[in-house]
Amino acid sequence: MTPWAYIPQFLSSGITIGAIYALVALGFVTIARASQIINFAQGEFVMLGGMITFSLLHHVGLPYPMAAVTSVFFVILVGFLLYLLVIYPLRKASIPILLMATLGASLFISNSSSIVFGPLPKALPPFSGDEPFLIAGIPVVPQSLWVLGATFLLLFFLYHLSHKTLLGKAMEASSTDPLGADLSGIWRSLMVFFAFGVSAGMGSIAGILITPIFYTSYSSGTLLGLKGFIAAVLGGWGKNSGAILGGFILGIAESVSVAFIPSGYKDAVAFIILLLILHFRPKGILGSPFIDSRRW
Amino acid sequence: MVEEDSTKLRKRDLLFTGALWLLSLILPDPHLPYRRELIKKRDLFYLGGVLLLPIVWPSSHVHHLMVLAGIYAILALGLSLFLGYAGQISLGHAAFFGIGAYTTAILTTRYGIPPLAAFWASAGVAAIFAYLIGRPILKLKGYFLALATLGFVEIFLVIVRETPDLTGGVIGIFGVPWFSLGGFQFDTYFKQYYLVWGILIGLILFSKNLVRSKMGRALLALATSEDAASSVGINVVQMKVGIFVVGAAFAGFAGSLFACVMSTANPEAFSLGFSVLIVMMVILGGMGNLYGPIAGAIFLTWLIDILGRFQEYSLSIYGLILVLLLIFFPDGIGTRLNIRLIYLISYWGRKKRRETKEI
Repeated sequence: MTPWAYIPQFLSSGITIGAIYALVALGFVTIARASQIINFAQGEFVMLGGMITFSLLHHVGLPYPMAAVTSVFFVILVGFLLYLLVIYPLRKASIPILLMATLGASLFISNSSSIVFGPLPKALPPFSGDEPFLIAGIPVVPQSLWVLGATFLLLFFLYHLSHKTLLGKAMEASSTDPLGADLSGIWRSLMVFFAFGVSAGMGSIAGILITPIFYTSYSSGTLLGLKGFIAAVLGGWGKNSGAILGGFILGIAESVSVAFIPSGYKDAVAFIILLLILHFRPKGILGSPFIDSRRW
Repeated sequence: MVEEDSTKLRKRDLLFTGALWLLSLILPDPHLPYRRELIKKRDLFYLGGVLLLPIVWPSSHVHHLMVLAGIYAILALGLSLFLGYAGQISLGHAAFFGIGAYTTAILTTRYGIPPLAAFWASAGVAAIFAYLIGRPILKLKGYFLALATLGFVEIFLVIVRETPDLTGGVIGIFGVPWFSLGGFQFDTYFKQYYLVWGILIGLILFSKNLVRSKMGRALLALATSEDAASSVGINVVQMKVGIFVVGAAFAGFAGSLFACVMSTANPEAFSLGFSVLIVMMVILGGMGNLYGPIAGAIFLTWLIDILGRFQEYSLSIYGLILVLLLIFFPDGIGTRLNIRLIYLISYWGRKKRRETKEI
């Protein structure tokens, strides 16, 4: 069979993984919209979401929905703690130091979770059966539909948060014009604190959605986080719609590439796309509100 | 006959000129008015410490650690020129280190080229890659530059893993010969210590000259403000690419030494964690200071060796310590301790000098 025959199947799996990248990218964008900080521990929220749900389900014995909701709350707590213990003391530090601090935190979280939850990869049961059904001749796993549905629900939630509520406006103001935000009485640290919570929650939901399809192990967070960031840059840094678009493009490009090049090179595809986009159009496909095209 | 003589003369001239040029990179420039400052008492004190350490402390474990620390220090020194002086972030030096290590490993094991030639070739190959990658990505800044260089590391690792014919794949290359110089084998940690630290001292002298040169001043200017630097006629892109290439050549030297000392090259050594480690060495040592990265390299090498005893807990303790160090010493351990030590030790001296000045 020619590689072209597999394309529809790769497309469907690409859309699923693309939705996950989009969720991770949304997490990055949420924090960036509130503070211009880039949190490289974002991938660890995804990993923690899957891991905590697994251990609540199998070791504590909670029912599935309860375990999922509880783990989202736990991860939001981790996000708050990350902000209070790492980012807040360093709020005046320079970029390399913040970068290293979040990378150090990510190292700490992933290796601690290997001690707490064990080093083996975990898999959750699918939400609604694992019997694939056909859409236009392509077998689709029901979990993929859950992933897509949740992505669009969260996108709607974020859109509402950032465009329709005072909280969202305040978050955005504290990033675009810190002095102006201070003058109009916005407590900027609190806004960034909330942004970390929202982003951690989104990361954990991505983790819970993905664990039934791809195994989650303690070390899988870092690469997911990086690819989510690449997706956010690809679509347009700082834009929710850009994050979604970038996620889907990246996911589809990665899956489809398997048809044409050896599968070992799959991880390099995202980074090659990144180098190309940074060279030719650093502000991303949809353009970015934060990046002045001349200076970046 | 006459022609032959003249060509011989020309060849010798070329050789002499080359040697002089190499020396001029290390020796102080006689035309600079501040040449007396190039080597201070402090430097001689450090030099004596480095030379005497393995004799005073004859433990092969310590020698091994200090060899590793010296290699990391070469790498961190190259990065500190880029990060500390030019103010750019790179998470990609692990890749240049890896390129250096693989070049040496491939050249010595497959083609039987002597390690000294492979040592220079490694730096050359790393520098060429740095030039090729530097041209497109060095127009980026901050987080985006960090991410792009990180992407380069990931691509390098994938290529290494997927071309087992050339690089040995996941397993790597074994049996890289010891470094040898004119038949003298550096086969114990004691000999390697002097080899590595000797090269490091040469590179420090080179960096000292570089920092004081026109290029070094230009780098300091563009770290403060690129717009201002370009307005006074500094070619910002050329300077940034130049210092990136120099840093990569340092990384190539370090990688080549690493392959000779460890006698292997495998992809495990050049991952994201390693890039973080190198940047941490530069930050912890204090940026914009040539001794900082060396102190940082020694400190972190010892720290990792001590943490190795905690086995599975070691990496999470390491992450915790990194975060704590960054929170409490954001300018580097050296900087803060140095300031305090200078105030404590030299208080009396400065007081005396001030009194004499007033009189």
